[in-house]
Amino acid sequence: MELSKRSLIVFCLGWLASLVLTSYVAGYYYMEFQKEAQLSRDYADMYNELVQNYTSLLNEHLELVQQYEFEKQNLTELLEKYGSCIMRVNIRIDYKEWNGTVVWYNDTIVPLGCNLLQATETVAVVNSTYWPDLQASFVDAINGVWNSPPYYWMWLYQDANTTTWTYGPVGADLFTVESDQVFMWRYEKP
Amino acid sequence: MASLCVGIQLTPRPPNVEFTSLICFLTGFLFGGFFGALLGALTMFINGFLSPWGFAGIIMPFQILGMALMGFVGGVYRKSLGKEPSARWFSFEVSFLAAFLTLVYDLITNVGYAVLFNVNIIFVLIMGTWFTIVHVVSNTALFGSALFGLTRIASNLLGEDLWSYQKEA
Repeated sequence: MELSKRSLIVFCLGWLASLVLTSYVAGYYYMEFQKEAQLSRDYADMYNELVQNYTSLLNEHLELVQQYEFEKQNLTELLEKYGSCIMRVNIRIDYKEWNGTVVWYNDTIVPLGCNLLQATETVAVVNSTYWPDLQASFVDAINGVWNSPPYYWMWLYQDANTTTWTYGPVGADLFTVESDQVFMWRYEKP
Repeated sequence: MASLCVGIQLTPRPPNVEFTSLICFLTGFLFGGFFGALLGALTMFINGFLSPWGFAGIIMPFQILGMALMGFVGGVYRKSLGKEPSARWFSFEVSFLAAFLTLVYDLITNVGYAVLFNVNIIFVLIMGTWFTIVHVVSNTALFGSALFGLTRIASNLLGEDLWSYQKEA
């Protein structure tokens, strides 16, 4: 063995280095532990908050379902009550000449005895002008699509037996609709 | 020697595995602490501008100080040696010394960084733990395995008896 004073110092320095490194590692893992512990706490808090929110949402959902059932019951009763005062019609709005689209409003509920203009107003925004001389209204626009010569809004009804389209004989406000009738508003050159 | 060190520094390699410490220590050992320190300082100065990790900036003085210490201790260590030690004993000693000096180098640079950027010193040291461990372990292994052989080669090349230094001094 050549264990001199120099060697002793060198080995002590090496030992010191290993001690410092060990303390680094310990410190590193302590910091990581603290970080993980903090994360665990955060996650636990988030989880609790999530459970709380979920429970609250579930309760709200149940309340909403109850409310829905209640309203449904009310509406069913109302429908039964006024079932004899309403009817269903089908309305087609044809924009083919304007932008190529066609929109159907099937089973549209309208009051008994209403006219086509009123029925159309339940499904679309209609601009019309009443002409006293004719004692009828003239439709100027449907859903923002205005009459623009030579294009005008014309209405047709479907024959129940032949399913052919026939032009309406009078103004829409003068034509009383019947249950299950099919109507079409068409933007076209008359 | 500085070119050699900088060349190796610029060579792609794992982070914190470097040969500069070994060469600076060897230079100090062969030509005296002053030259070792000078080489360490010069290498880190040049490396500060050319490093692939980017410009060292204001951390550079601390790197220079750390590497200069490495070279200087090489000279001091040789002076402290008496008769020619056995290869195993020499390797043991220099590997322990390398561990300590590398740790000091990392300590100097990390503390410098923490002070300059006003960051908690303990935090910086701990965050650099794995880099320090890689640095210390790689240098310990390098010094322990290569330094004795390198001193032998240098001795043959220079044509002088390395262990006569002590006797002449």
